[in-house]
Amino acid sequence: MKIVVVGAGQVGSTIVEALHGEHDITVIDTVAERLEALAYRFDVRTIQGNGASRKTIAEAAADANLFIACTSRDEVNLVACSFARLDAPTATSVIRTSNVEYIDLWREGRLDVDFAVSAELETAHAVARSIGMPAARQTDVFADGQVQIIEFEVPAEADSAVVGRPLRDVPIPNESRVLGIIREDGLTLPRGDDAIQRGDRIVVIGSPAAAREWGSHLAPGEGAVEDVVVFGGGQVGSAIARLLHEQGTGVRMIEPHRERAREIADELPGVRVYNATGTDPDFLERERIGQAQAAVFAMKEDAKNVYAAVLARVSGVRFTIAVVHDLVATQVYERSGVDVSINPRGVTAEEIVRFAHDPRTQQVTMLEGDRYEVLDLTTQPTSEYVGLRFRDMPIRGALIGAIVRDGRAVFPHSDDVLQAGDRVIVFTEADLVGRVEKVL
Amino acid sequence: MPARHTAVDIKGSLALVGMLVKYLSLASLVPTAVAVGYGEPVLPFVLSGALAAVAGWGLERSLGGATSVGFREGYLVVALTWLAAAAFGALPFLLSGEPQLDRPLDALFESMSGFTTTGLTVVPDVEALDRSVLIWRQFTQWLGGMGIIVLALAVLPRLRVGGRQLLESELPGPEIDQLADRIRDTARRLWLLYAALTVVLFSLLTVIGFLGDERMGAYDALGHALTTMPTGGFSTRSTSVQEFGAAVHWVLVVFMLLAGANALLLYRAFLRRQSRAALRDEELRVYLLFVAFGAVLLTTVVWTEGLANGERAIRLGVFEAVSTITTTGFTNVAFVSWPTLGLIAIVALMFAGGCAGSPTGSIKVIRHVLMGKSLRRELRQTVHPEEIVPIRLNRRVVDERTLRAATVFILLYVGIFVGGVGVLAVDTAIHGPDLSAIDVFATAAMALGNVGPVLGTHGPLGTVADFGDVSTLTMTILMWMGRLEVIPVLVLLTRRYWRV
Repeated sequence: MKIVVVGAGQVGSTIVEALHGEHDITVIDTVAERLEALAYRFDVRTIQGNGASRKTIAEAAADANLFIACTSRDEVNLVACSFARLDAPTATSVIRTSNVEYIDLWREGRLDVDFAVSAELETAHAVARSIGMPAARQTDVFADGQVQIIEFEVPAEADSAVVGRPLRDVPIPNESRVLGIIREDGLTLPRGDDAIQRGDRIVVIGSPAAAREWGSHLAPGEGAVEDVVVFGGGQVGSAIARLLHEQGTGVRMIEPHRERAREIADELPGVRVYNATGTDPDFLERERIGQAQAAVFAMKEDAKNVYAAVLARVSGVRFTIAVVHDLVATQVYERSGVDVSINPRGVTAEEIVRFAHDPRTQQVTMLEGDRYEVLDLTTQPTSEYVGLRFRDMPIRGALIGAIVRDGRAVFPHSDDVLQAGDRVIVFTEADLVGRVEKVL
Repeated sequence: MPARHTAVDIKGSLALVGMLVKYLSLASLVPTAVAVGYGEPVLPFVLSGALAAVAGWGLERSLGGATSVGFREGYLVVALTWLAAAAFGALPFLLSGEPQLDRPLDALFESMSGFTTTGLTVVPDVEALDRSVLIWRQFTQWLGGMGIIVLALAVLPRLRVGGRQLLESELPGPEIDQLADRIRDTARRLWLLYAALTVVLFSLLTVIGFLGDERMGAYDALGHALTTMPTGGFSTRSTSVQEFGAAVHWVLVVFMLLAGANALLLYRAFLRRQSRAALRDEELRVYLLFVAFGAVLLTTVVWTEGLANGERAIRLGVFEAVSTITTTGFTNVAFVSWPTLGLIAIVALMFAGGCAGSPTGSIKVIRHVLMGKSLRRELRQTVHPEEIVPIRLNRRVVDERTLRAATVFILLYVGIFVGGVGVLAVDTAIHGPDLSAIDVFATAAMALGNVGPVLGTHGPLGTVADFGDVSTLTMTILMWMGRLEVIPVLVLLTRRYWRV
């Protein structure tokens, strides 16, 4: 495959590193040194020039299959992609953006790019996943975080409202569905008269809020994570706060700049914002920061993050997650007791690289090793299931848990009808994947 | 104030006031028509109209014509226009030779009470007035209601520039949420809505009169329609609306409630069918909560004290609460006096007011809401000094200046109220009438809040006819300040208004 990468910064070079072996790569950047460094390490073609220049793109993009614009500037990425449309109309285009507005536009299908990836959002999702949920063995998200798949272990202390009763009598949270019950004797795709037992593993699909509700049913003592403190209200920090808050977590944010703190407080109702440095022990004590279940450090300087994280640990925070900017800092973080470190550029690059393997491949998640899979695929108009109501669909080793229609996730009820072009999120056994793909 | 040192365009402001008075003089056509219809003297109205037209025109001309005014001049224009309107409104009373209104101060008081939609009166025997004079009195309230200046904006395209400033200092309430892109269109739409509701009320009252409440003739229907929508409270009877039947009372309750709501919301609800969105408005909800609270409280008082029971008790309680909160000032209470709890409750309700963007006076619900939220935030920040707590109204963040303005308004309002109480207490002690403590408080609150005689100044139907000159003048000033929402008047008293 012929791939063009605009931007040879951290994201760009991570992408090149991941893809250079099997693809022909052309890298565009304005800075000659960066290109030299890349060309020295990898066998790639480099073009020094501005990504927003028609000439540069025309030179690089002819007959490209995949066009990735991942400079740190949204505008350049957008312009580069629109030029690439002219010169390589068939290429799949991917942009990196930090602007939520662009992401929203893209979701609505009104931005002429195939994929938009936001470092801030990807980081936020990574943070949200690692803060996780009690009782969850594994979680993953689909449809930009609108759909969550969780495999729970049903513990002995699980709420008897959900355990031991036929599912049709269980107060299952809205917007969620039990996809599978896994016991020693294998997988059951449950119907209304099946029941969850203690010791089972269950696979649940649902909106983030519903998933939390499940978490609190299954591990009543633990409860959902109610108190996370985010240090630093930059773009990354506020994206994290927004996502956690949307998922139903209580979020407190600490931002040292007064103006910025005000902006965040205005934008994110429900998130408590403090205008403080976060390294003042009196403040930490007064606001009982130590009682937080987790703290996320998303300030711009790695050194400050480490310092604040150590201080937070001292004051009692049990779980710390820090955002790394300089890759070297990862080691420092780990040595100083930060539990998880997340590199925004790294997660962005990983996300973008996924498109390169096969841009049309839908997302796949494996559960229980590789015995079960969750697929995200688009229904063909010829599928025999299209036009059927969900209640009329035969269950043959697979269950549709959610559909994504016009960019919005829907958790179908029995009267809903599957339409051609719906993206469906299907849970199935691994050896049935081929059949499922064929019939849908 | 030496004019040559001032930074305010006094000439331009006066010219604009002149122009507004010139157009306002047209209002005298209404009582003139009534006078012709009933065969009463036409001269007072024609003469007043002519005088106002000539004076306004002369002022405008001699000062080089009305141009657009700036932000600063807006305050002066509003304050002066209201004074000028009150003076103009007093002319027909004086010229009519009506013995109850033959003193200039009394005539000015009555006219100010009209244009500020207050409803306090110096006329003990309303029925003795000529029908044309009475209609003029009612009509001043109707004009004052939506604001002389909104009226002018809706009708006169000339004010387009600088109009927004005027509307902001004019339309009661801290913020206007525009309906149309141009201020003139917004004003015109609101004005039409106001007129339409008046017509509907008039028709309903006429129909009720026709169907059996024979005391409510077409003339009374018009008189009350003109003073309900502006939450004015002048009645065509000395006993206010007591003599009318239950149907009239309930219809008035509904229209007073509508008048007390934000006109922009009403517009959305009625003409754009967005009633659900309108009902989600936070201010509207608190307003209805105030009304419900007041109604239940007063009904309970009336019922448990044995003053009335059944539907009548409810009607008395609801009517009195609505009339007080919307600062209308009608009363349907026929008993001699309220029990103490009732009195205190009514005086307290006088400080509520209706919604922003309504012609009600007093503090207004929105300021109560904002002040409440500010206070709650202060308490929260006492414990969490670093926390930033934006205050939201209808989910939108309220800007800190607006919040401060609401708090400052309430403080100034209460301060002026206390001052008014002081002057009234001293003057009535010297010149009579003999008032109880609660009467003094109520009178000051009724004047400053543009509430009108829900209680009467002494006894349920007491007018201010027997008050001394100082008291009458004080109440006139209180009504004027209350209508202009205090701040524009006080701003004029600061040195830095006039200087650079």
